[in-house]
Amino acid sequence: MVVITTKKPDEEVFEALQNYKVKKLTVVSCGTCAALCQTGGTEGAEEWRKKLEEKGYEIEAVIVSEDVCDNRVMKKDLRKIDDEVRASDAILTLSCGLGVQSIVEVIQDKYPKKPVLVSNNTKFIGMTERIGRFYLRCRACGDCLLNYTGGICPIATCAKGLMNGPCGGMVDGKCEVDNYERDCGWILIFNRLKAIGRLDLFSMLRDARDWSESGHQQEVIFR
Amino acid sequence: MEGNHAYSKLGEALVKGDFILTGELEPEKTCDLSHTIQEAKEMAPYVVAANVTDSPLGIVTINSMAASHIIQREADLEVIWQLTVRDVNKLGIAGMIMGGHALGLRNVLSLTGDHTALGDMPESKPVFDLDSATLVKLVREMVDTGKINGHEIEHPPKFHVGCAGNPNAEPMEAEILKIGRKAEAGAEFLQTQVVYDLERTIEFLTEIKKYKVPVLLGIFPMKSYGIAKGFDTFVPGVSVPKDILAKWKGIKTEYKTDKKMQKEAYDQANYEFFKPFIRELRKKNLLSGVHCMAVHYPRVFPKLMEIIQT
Ligand code: SF4
Ligand code: SF4
Repeated sequence: MVVITTKKPDEEVFEALQNYKVKKLTVVSCGTCAALCQTGGTEGAEEWRKKLEEKGYEIEAVIVSEDVCDNRVMKKDLRKIDDEVRASDAILTLSCGLGVQSIVEVIQDKYPKKPVLVSNNTKFIGMTERIGRFYLRCRACGDCLLNYTGGICPIATCAKGLMNGPCGGMVDGKCEVDNYERDCGWILIFNRLKAIGRLDLFSMLRDARDWSESGHQQEVIFR
Repeated sequence: MEGNHAYSKLGEALVKGDFILTGELEPEKTCDLSHTIQEAKEMAPYVVAANVTDSPLGIVTINSMAASHIIQREADLEVIWQLTVRDVNKLGIAGMIMGGHALGLRNVLSLTGDHTALGDMPESKPVFDLDSATLVKLVREMVDTGKINGHEIEHPPKFHVGCAGNPNAEPMEAEILKIGRKAEAGAEFLQTQVVYDLERTIEFLTEIKKYKVPVLLGIFPMKSYGIAKGFDTFVPGVSVPKDILAKWKGIKTEYKTDKKMQKEAYDQANYEFFKPFIRELRKKNLLSGVHCMAVHYPRVFPKLMEIIQT
């Protein structure tokens, strides 16, 4: 699994830095998902160091961390550069939205006034075909349907997330959204269920999704 | 029709098995419905009911529940309220079903709705909490049990709920199985997408006959060559046969100077194309009626009436 990120436009990031009146900063880059998406990692960190220096920012520290989204890892990694973090006006995070929030959680007690900023947009949980080709295939709905849909997710592959497709927007197996260039998710499901001899599952009337558990804050706690 | 009860003229006609004609009205981006009401009045003598569209193509228009109510009141024409699941969640739709009843609506057509991304407010959140089958199920639950999610409704709504089906869909088998789900959900009638291909329509209607849902055939009589050409170009998945386009083009050129004659020729050409088409399907016992989707062409209805009465 990879949390897929893309880069925000540089101007947007610099605007945020200006907005917070940042002059000195620490850069934390994600060495896992963001590295794969080329929005973080060692290269991303170097790229941002250069860009920031060119604009006259003072860089206190640049680190690449393997699990920015893991509070334990962040605690450990930030402890090692605590002096630099203290000296920084802000932390710029080259990661997904989880990474940023993980850092906020870890530093907010010690440095309540220190902003943590983000250089990326978080797009989705992605499947990797190869580097540079990532696809949304699961929306983490909380109640997986794949056993009934031939292992293809209607919530992620149907543009409307329908439980009973295809809709009238399907033409020759393609979806009305984005000019009939992408496959209709429900036709992918139909073809797959047909291939495995389970059209009985396709014929099934499915209830609307139950949002009672997933329409608000969520956590998984088993210890 | 289950239970043989009827809450509307459309419901009655379906119970009786009358061969019927329905029309379509497309309210626009306006708060004044006088044009649509005028059109409704013109078609009223010929149709049992008319659909009122719900922001087709995701282009924002006046709300279809309000428009349905006003048209029904002002034009004395029963409406088939089109309700998409695009814009409102399940909770909101359940409330609208009660509201629709209170406003005098008795027929509702359950539709998915074109995606918000296609329309003129693409930044809007696409809802799709329900889909076209689960909306049918919801309406039937409210009407038949008088309850919603197990909770009593003090005065439950009365509606006939219909659905859509597309004979042009490829792969057809997927579409047929989906109609099976809508039938299972309790759809009481089905209006098809516009068809021009007789062979395909026969195949499709024969396949869905097992679901025992009365079918109203979607047709699009073409008011002019421009409209025929536009329909052919801009409606994905439906193509107007080449010979029809040629014939309409011929009419356009032949009667260039005489608009009155031109109109008559177009009307006659529609009559000649649709008469054998509909007759063939009726002969095979595949239809319960015809749904004319041509908007702004109410003068075609007398001709269509002639077709369905012969
Ligand atoms: S049904 Fe789809 S969105 Fe839900 S968990 Fe399964 S793959 Fe993910
Ligand atoms: S065409 Fe297919 S993928 Fe697109 S919205 Fe309809 S059912 Fe979903």
